[in-house]
Amino acid sequence: MNLPDYQFISAPLWLVTLLHLLTFTLHLMAMNFLLGGVIITLLSSARKRWDDATAVKFARLFPAATAATVTLGVAPLLFLQLVYPRQVYAAAIVSGWFWLGVIAAVIVAYYALYRASFAGHRTGRAGDAVLLLALVGLLYVSLVYSSVFSMAEQPALAHDLYAKDQSGLVWNPAVGDYALRWLHMVLGALTVGGFFVGLLGRNDVEVFATGKRFFIGGMVAAALAGMVYLMSLEQLIGAFMRTPAIWALTASVALSLVSLHFFVRKNFWLSGVTLFLSVMGMVYARHTVRLLRLAGQFDPASWRVAPQWSPLLMFLACFVVMLIVLVWMLRMFFGAKKSAA
Amino acid sequence: MNYPFWDVPVAYGVLMAVIAVFHVFVSHFAIGGGLYLVVSEQLARKAGDTRRLEFLEKLSKFFVLVTLVAGALTGVGIWFIIGLIAPTATEALIHNYVWGWATEWTFFVVEIAAAMIYFYGWKTMTPRAHVTVGWIYFVFAWLSLFVINGIVTFMLTPGQWLATGDFWDGFFNPTFWPSLVLRTGVCVMLAGLYALLVASRCEVGAFKARTVRYSAGWGVAGLAVTALCQYWYWKAIPAAVTAKALQTMPTPICSMEISAWLAAGIGALLVVFGLLAPRKLGFGAAAALMVLGLAWFGAFEWFRESIRKPYILAGYIYGNGAEVAETANYKKNGYLAQMAFKTGDDGADLFRHACRSCHTLDGYKALKPAFDGTDRAFIAAIVRATHLLRGNMPPFLGTTAEADKIADHLGHHTDRRPLAEIYKLEGVELGRKAYAIRCGKCHVIGAASDKSKSFAGQSADDLNSLLNSAADMGEGMPAYTGDATERKALVAFLQTLGKGGQK
Repeated sequence: MNLPDYQFISAPLWLVTLLHLLTFTLHLMAMNFLLGGVIITLLSSARKRWDDATAVKFARLFPAATAATVTLGVAPLLFLQLVYPRQVYAAAIVSGWFWLGVIAAVIVAYYALYRASFAGHRTGRAGDAVLLLALVGLLYVSLVYSSVFSMAEQPALAHDLYAKDQSGLVWNPAVGDYALRWLHMVLGALTVGGFFVGLLGRNDVEVFATGKRFFIGGMVAAALAGMVYLMSLEQLIGAFMRTPAIWALTASVALSLVSLHFFVRKNFWLSGVTLFLSVMGMVYARHTVRLLRLAGQFDPASWRVAPQWSPLLMFLACFVVMLIVLVWMLRMFFGAKKSAA
Repeated sequence: MNYPFWDVPVAYGVLMAVIAVFHVFVSHFAIGGGLYLVVSEQLARKAGDTRRLEFLEKLSKFFVLVTLVAGALTGVGIWFIIGLIAPTATEALIHNYVWGWATEWTFFVVEIAAAMIYFYGWKTMTPRAHVTVGWIYFVFAWLSLFVINGIVTFMLTPGQWLATGDFWDGFFNPTFWPSLVLRTGVCVMLAGLYALLVASRCEVGAFKARTVRYSAGWGVAGLAVTALCQYWYWKAIPAAVTAKALQTMPTPICSMEISAWLAAGIGALLVVFGLLAPRKLGFGAAAALMVLGLAWFGAFEWFRESIRKPYILAGYIYGNGAEVAETANYKKNGYLAQMAFKTGDDGADLFRHACRSCHTLDGYKALKPAFDGTDRAFIAAIVRATHLLRGNMPPFLGTTAEADKIADHLGHHTDRRPLAEIYKLEGVELGRKAYAIRCGKCHVIGAASDKSKSFAGQSADDLNSLLNSAADMGEGMPAYTGDATERKALVAFLQTLGKGGQK
């Protein structure tokens, strides 16, 4: 019997890539609010810039932000595995225990955030120690992701590391390769976190000022780190400049400045939209860097495309239903909260 | 063979079980618990039962903490672990079912959002809106099960997909419906068990009695559906698979028997403490029910995983990651030629990719004690004949030279002294040990492959001749290579088998 071949992708590559980048951007927005929000809350609390009630208000949001981060992270991980399984699994296996440790770290962080949320509800204090524990968990996850996904873009490195050690206790030693990338991501989280803090604290002068500080400061620092990271790619820069990604990156920088402009004017709707588009542009630039680093070793366009139209339509229909139901539920929830207030 | 091998001291099966059993336990509760909450809320609102509404609100906090955190993250954990221990099969599954998983993701998003809104909306939302959100939660959680059930059952019974490669042929496979109804029953049962755990902490009185009785009713109803469907599920598995399991696979059969006993235990506790003496349900009994429920689910999942042997995707990919479609290629060019990641030690690499996903050297399903006291020729013969051994193992599809390399690798780690010296045994007891190591890998006494009756009336000379010609007696039979002491002891033991004694 001729068995079916599994070496194919079941939709046009452009569609899979679009879904990948879109869902990854959504994941980043939620993750940035979570990571940036926790850091900002901890710092503002420690410096006594915020009163306890403000810290509690934010702490109560973090469990929902974690749920959103995890949930929105599933889809891009799925599409990543669809297109780059050989690269991603190989790197994950080489660092197997660290990779698996991500789950434990997120569970600890998640429960710590719930604890902070419930503690704040009871005592009026968010509980800096548990927030700190959550932050350690989140930073661990970010470091593992940077390390593993960076290794995934260097198949030769994964081969060398595996040849020396098969235990799964190998940490990517090419720290210079991903340290700046990781730093850029954390600083980006502070930027987006600052936006959300300003949005949620728009009626409180001090909280809005905090948000603005982190939005501006994070943006400058993230831009610097991103620039240095790009420079560190050395021989890839020329190739990068010849791709549309350079325009996307330029547009992203401009859009982030537009977002800041609207943020200062407290037009959060336009500020949010432009910020989202800015992040999406950077995600596209990041995607291009991945392709350039893999060039000559793997090209996603080499996948045989064998569309599964009816399952794809089922997904798209369910995606629309998901949006409708989400909007309805959120309207019910926030509408009720407004009337209760 | 396209991936590196994660060489960890813990058995893959154990790692998978730890994460997966916990996840399925929580995730099924997440579905049944949602139904329990919304149905109970509707009844309580209709009856104006504020005490019950308070109880349900408390239950929903427990529900959110368990399902959203541990349930959702161990679900992601399954993604992580299968990519580490079975990357080829995971890749094959994702390529075939990416839109199934993507669809499930949309249900998952609604499920998580609805759970949070339901929990935080007790005090602020209108009863009608709150109940509607509760129903949305349950429907989407169950739809999530619907999709995942299609993919999980595909792994055991891919049905027509093997011929057509069509998404829907694989999705609506022979065990799809029995598994779906069975798992729905499990959801209902677990909802009852979790509610009993929370109810057991209530103050003793009329409220506790009726809450316990009501929740136990859920447990009993779910258990009844589950028990009936287990039979349906068994009958839906191709007869060739179940027949083979009954003949040569003790693990799934044993798991099934254990799950039946555990179900009986759950039923007994539910009837006694839930229906007959609800006021006496303490935390201990409720916790015991939870433990039994977890153990039952563990036994069922162990059955489902083990009856799939020698495959991880039935008829498509073997448990060790070798692809059925590549059989001719492996036989012609060997495994090594297909390996994308190598360490420079061919024997170790071959051992990892051919054996290590199920066996360790001296831990779980250890190979060292299985080969201590033997030699390279015997080990190589066994490696070449894995498909004939008990336990329904994957065939070794590599070349003869590669089997020899595995034998060298294993031989390097085994004790090469004679069996008598290793185990300090003599006479029939030494023969029994020699039988276990040399013969028992295929010929399990009392099983279908038992040949002991043929030894009846045979003299020591006859049996010695038999051992001399062992390699010529059939496919996969290894030559007998034990020393004189071991041979004499083995013959003595075979004679006792021929007499029908000392088994």
